[in-house]
Amino acid sequence: MHSDARVSTLKSKKLSVLSAELLVSSYSSLSTQHSALNTQHSALNTLFAMNEIVIECRDVETAFLKSLHRPILNQVNCQIRRGEFVALLGLNGAGKSTLLRSFVGLTQVSRGTITVDDIQMAPTTLPKIRRHVGMLFQGGGLIRQLSAVENVLCGRLGVRKPWQTLFGFPKQDYRLALQLLDELGLHEHAYQKTSSLSGGQQQRVAIARALIQSPQVLLADEPITGLDIMAAKQVMDTLAKLNSEHGITIVTVLHDLGIAAEYAQRALVLDAGRIVYDGACNNLQSEFAQIGSLSK
Amino acid sequence: MNNFASINKLTGRYPWISNLLIIPVLILLVVVYAWSLEGIGINAEVLNNSWFYVTDFISRFFPPNLDVLSNAVKALIQTIQMSLWGTTIGAIISVPIAIASASNIAPVWLQWLANFIQNAVRSVPSIILGLIFVAATGLGAPAGTLALSIYTIGYLAKFYQQAIEAVNSRSIESLQVIGASRWQITQYGIVPQVLPLALGYTLWMFEYNIRAASVLGVVGAGGIGFELKSYIDGFEYNKATTFMLVLLVVVTVIDFFSSLLRRRLDSM
Repeated sequence: MHSDARVSTLKSKKLSVLSAELLVSSYSSLSTQHSALNTQHSALNTLFAMNEIVIECRDVETAFLKSLHRPILNQVNCQIRRGEFVALLGLNGAGKSTLLRSFVGLTQVSRGTITVDDIQMAPTTLPKIRRHVGMLFQGGGLIRQLSAVENVLCGRLGVRKPWQTLFGFPKQDYRLALQLLDELGLHEHAYQKTSSLSGGQQQRVAIARALIQSPQVLLADEPITGLDIMAAKQVMDTLAKLNSEHGITIVTVLHDLGIAAEYAQRALVLDAGRIVYDGACNNLQSEFAQIGSLSK
Repeated sequence: MNNFASINKLTGRYPWISNLLIIPVLILLVVVYAWSLEGIGINAEVLNNSWFYVTDFISRFFPPNLDVLSNAVKALIQTIQMSLWGTTIGAIISVPIAIASASNIAPVWLQWLANFIQNAVRSVPSIILGLIFVAATGLGAPAGTLALSIYTIGYLAKFYQQAIEAVNSRSIESLQVIGASRWQITQYGIVPQVLPLALGYTLWMFEYNIRAASVLGVVGAGGIGFELKSYIDGFEYNKATTFMLVLLVVVTVIDFFSSLLRRRLDSM
């Protein structure tokens, strides 16, 4: 067990040191390396990796809202483990997005603690936490006036100093951004203005922008809202691939129970700022029926 | 109940009947207009008596006296120069005021202060600004240029503020999560979104200021209005016509080009 743990931490360190460039170019060789290792220690290793907690919320509470007569998040406790694909579900106003945003410090938390990668969230640790976490916003959160490749390049702003990006980005960043767009099937749209792309294409640009940060955790806030079935499937398939092949932990807010059941391993259901269900996705319909009857 | 049913049946069969309901609204509108006309004191007699003077006054403007054409062009060039500098100085001063008043960037107390400055500037008519600066710097173009720059602040600060407030908040948050610095967020997040709008507004202001500068000349603050008014005061209407025609041509040409440019900016 001890040596397994060492191999595993070594591996996770290796992953974190890996630049996005490696993630793209030597991804296939890496995964064969992985599988070789995995077959050796498969059972224990996966057990260990799955049990390693990446995000932990303890008694998280936001400020009291007079209009709601309660805080948006009300004593939330949850854990996200490495390599998981978790769906955050709930009715409008249940606090799904707020919880997701709290993982990257976009929500003001008044009580409780959030820990990401064993680092407790605080204004001083926030930059360190954000280095390993990527986020997809509803509608993409892109800068519509810039081209697709420029938006992807923005993902490098965190590792480049302001004077380095004053007159554009280094060549290797450009190569990397183009490569990522290529992988996501946006090769011919790289220099197109983002506002002229379709919703699904924009969301894939946003994915490329998140990937260029080589994140270990990818948070997605309603990534497929407003997309047609084909585009939604394409985006969800991309997320699933990132999860299964690259081992990226994925937490996504969803509205569609069917899609949650299809892609996610675990669901967290929120109601009125509390987590009311935490478990497998195979019985979600009846869980939601209960929420409906509770609020009545 | 029966009555309602029959009315519904009626309007169902003859849809124009329901259109009749607009008649009382129209009557009310006519009453309001009549009442306003009474308040202004315009009536047929006034119009009848003034008609002669109006036609007489206008007829004296023709034909235009082209002897002063070169003077007119010279004065007009000065007007454009005044507008160029007035708009530019005003635009530069407007930027910090707009940033300070934007609700998505500035703290509330600063917003309040910056909005107060905006309102104070906007409530001063351009003529009064012209008078103030004529008193300060004497007659001529410097006074007009300074008056224009202050006048510009009242508008551009507001337009720039709205452009900044229209920035997509999610796109800024996404850059924050990426770990971009304040400077990088401004360079890559805010400026690309604000610039096309702000440039369009500035262009519009430049065009508007050419017309405003023409008015400022009336109080001696330089530009084409100065000579325009002295010709009219001196009963040299034909010369004034030349000036107005030159102004018309230039305003039309500039409007053409700036709307062309603005359309390109809009598509950005």
